[in-house]
Parts: sequence; C-alpha cells; structure tokens
Amino acid sequence: MAEATTTQASGAASTSAAPGGSPAAGAPGAAGDRPVKIIGIVCNWCSYAGADTAGVGRFKQPANIRLVRVPCTGRIDPLFALKAFEKGADGVLISGCHPGDCHYSEGNYYARRKFELLERMIHHLGIPKERFKWTWVSASEGQRWQKVVTEFVAGVEKLGPREGRAL
Amino acid sequence: MSRQDHIREFAAAALRDGRVDYFIGWKQGHNSSEVVPAFVKDPAEVEQLVWNELCHHNLVTFLKRNMPDPAGAKIGVCVKGCDSRTLVALLQEELVDKDTLYVVGVPCDGIVDRRKLEKESADELVAISCSDGKVSVTTRQGSGKEFAKDSVLLDVCGRCRYPNAVYADDTAGPPVEEPDRKHAEPDWSDVADYENLSDDDKQALLEQIYSTCVRCFACINVCPVCFCWDKCVNRSRQPELVSQKVGPKENLLFQMVHMFHVAGRCPSCGACDRACPVEIPLYLLHRKMNKEIYDMFRFEPGTKLDEKPVFQVFDLTDQFGD
Repeated sequence: MAEATTTQASGAASTSAAPGGSPAAGAPGAAGDRPVKIIGIVCNWCSYAGADTAGVGRFKQPANIRLVRVPCTGRIDPLFALKAFEKGADGVLISGCHPGDCHYSEGNYYARRKFELLERMIHHLGIPKERFKWTWVSASEGQRWQKVVTEFVAGVEKLGPREGRAL
Repeated sequence: MSRQDHIREFAAAALRDGRVDYFIGWKQGHNSSEVVPAFVKDPAEVEQLVWNELCHHNLVTFLKRNMPDPAGAKIGVCVKGCDSRTLVALLQEELVDKDTLYVVGVPCDGIVDRRKLEKESADELVAISCSDGKVSVTTRQGSGKEFAKDSVLLDVCGRCRYPNAVYADDTAGPPVEEPDRKHAEPDWSDVADYENLSDDDKQALLEQIYSTCVRCFACINVCPVCFCWDKCVNRSRQPELVSQKVGPKENLLFQMVHMFHVAGRCPSCGACDRACPVEIPLYLLHRKMNKEIYDMFRFEPGTKLDEKPVFQVFDLTDQFGD
C-alpha cells in the first residue's frame, strides 16, 4: 500500500516538475510508450498445449501476447481477428494443429482456406501484413512456439502500437 | 415474340396448371421510370409483368425468405444471368429446393443504372424508355434527354460474363450472344486502383466511404446469399460483435460481417450497391474478395450446380500456410 502511494506520488511529481521532459520523452506520444498488445487465438489441442510446453520448458518469450483458447481452428471465424483489431489489438496471431493432426480430423483443413482469405483481405483493409499471422504449432513444439511468438512480436513492435484506426 | 411476352406466357401457363402457386417477376412502379418486384398469384394478372432495361432487382432475394415455404407453396421466379448465379449458390448449399421451384431465365443484354441517369439529368425522372441502344428519359420538369445505352449501364453489366441464366427451367426467348470475356480471365481492373494504395490510404478511404453508413441493413436484406437474415450476428446483442455505437469502427465491422459471410457465394451481382440509400460503393471490397477467391481456387461463385462453395469443402492438397 505504502509502495503504491509512493509510486503515485513520484509519478505525479515527475510530470508536474518536468513538463515535456518525462522519462519516456523519446517515445512518439502518450500512446507510443505502451507495450504492444497481441491477441493469440489458439486451438486447445495443439498450439495451446505447445505454448504450455514452451512454458514448462522455460523458453523465454515476450509477454505481449494474450491467448484465447478455442476448441479447434475450425471454430475460428475470420471476424474474431477483425474484432480483435477493432478492440485495439496491435497484432493477431492464429495457430492450431498441423494439417493432418487435427483433433477433430478435418477442422484445420477448412480453417486454412478461411485464414488464407482472411490474411489476403486483412492486407487490403489497410492493416499491415506484419500485424497478422497464422501458423501451425503442435503440442510438442515448445521451441517453435517460442520462435513464432518472438518473431511475430518483434515484427509488431517495429510498427509500434496501433492508434486511431477503425480496424 | 418479345422476352416480356415469353415471361407472361410462362407465368400464365405455370399458374394455370398448378406448377407454381405464385410467380415472382417485375412490374412497372409508380411511373415508367421505375420497375418493382411483382408477385403474381392469378393467371389473369400476368399482364402486369414486364421485362425491360430497368429490371435490376435480383428476385432470388425473395426465395431466401420464402424457401422452404411454410405453407409448402411452389414458387416461380424470373432470373437474369447474374441472378441465376445467386440461385445456383443457394442450390449448391441446398438452401432452396429445386423441386418446388420454377425458374424462368431471362437472357439479358445489360441493365440501365437509374442513378447514373438521375445524376446526368439532375432532376427526378418520371419516364424512361429504351430502344435501339438509346435510353430516353423525361424529367419532372418536362425536359427530355437521350443517352447511349452503353454509357448508362450498371458497372456490373460492363464486366458481365454470364448474360444468360446458368440454371433455368425455361428461357424467355433466344439466348443472347455470350461475350468474349466469358472465356478470358475475369477482368479485375476495377479494384486495381484500390490495391495500389498504401495501407494508410486504404484505411483512410475505407473510413471515409463507410462513414456515411447508417447500418440500415438494406445491403444485407437485399443480398440473396446473405441468408441468416433473421438471426444476423450484426443484430445480436448477446453476444455482441458489432456495438450499437456509431463510428467508423462499428460501420466497418458491420460491413466486414456481410463481406465475410458471403465469401464463396457472392457473384458480384451488385444488388447491395444498388440498394444502399447512401450510395456506398460496397462492390469495392466484395470484388476484391472475389478476386482473391478466384486467385486461390480458380472458383467463380454460382456457376456450376454440382460444385460446392469453396469454404464448405476442403482439399488435402491445398497449399496454404507454412
């Protein structure tokens, strides 16, 4: 409690004492200094478990990603990704079982057709292609999960947070 | 015998022998500048059916609401080439029953864009007549004007590949000559300008063109292949996808619902464009999407009865993703 009060007080002090010279003055604005927020939509059986494997294996990865777990990539409506962008996500990552490994046999075969269209259309809605990715990560591929997330987050961070956009 | 006479004859015969309970065609609106959909139940009423260059309505739209008919009624319907593709899209997914349907295909050589005429005339139109490739209009002020028909056609007609119905039980008159472009690759030049914009310009353009959207649902209601009309996710409040707030986010998402929900079915008939009361160029993203679908699958929606829409099926050899 005391600590929180101190932080608050010092924060207020620094802004009032040095207008325009706050610690994050190098960033492009109030919104520019926040970390990027990424929504990951992953299937329960492979990629969610893959992320778990990465955690158990203690593979270091950026903490910018929030996972939404769905039963299968076949459950993912392209509008989920657009809704995430509408709600202010800076990037959307979709991942599921490799083709042939779907827990429900064929969900990801349908899904990959939808994702391909979604990816192509997202680029034509004015959302840079670095902000959307879909891929396959299996339950045992903890290292692959680490690689996918690290690279994706790095790509989104290069573009920075997304502000003032319709989608 | 004119195509109009053929339509009346087919309608009268079908109504008389009980093949259909009612027949959907076009009839004149409140004056000769307008055509509206007509529902004919009595063979004596077929005289009101018309066929001319103003019959832009896609009548298949009425099937999505009436099929299967709750009372088991059999329905007759007139379709142009583009309309027939939306009908085939519904048939491919078994959303309408072929056996309770009687389809009259109307070969079409282009529909006139009433909005273009209105803009050119800068007045309300009270009469339009077409003959020999010329369109004559009379305005409310009484002045007349004549246009070459080719210059006032709907944009969709300018790139039409299927002027004859893809699926029909009867055809009103001889088929029109198939355009050469049917056998060439589809022409997507209308979306090229948009594709060449930068990401920021695309966003700015989309925000601008959708900023006038009042979310009246006209585009969705009129679309023959956007058929979960009574349980549309756009109307859903729980769960809520599109909020009731008014703004570019909501407008764009609203349109995205429509666009993605007709993926693989939309043949770009242009009905949504014509229905939009604020004249949003809805075709832009729909055409762009159709281009991508064609590029991915070499698939043209609603052209073959025995085909399944590409997002309803899958192929193990698809080469998408990494």
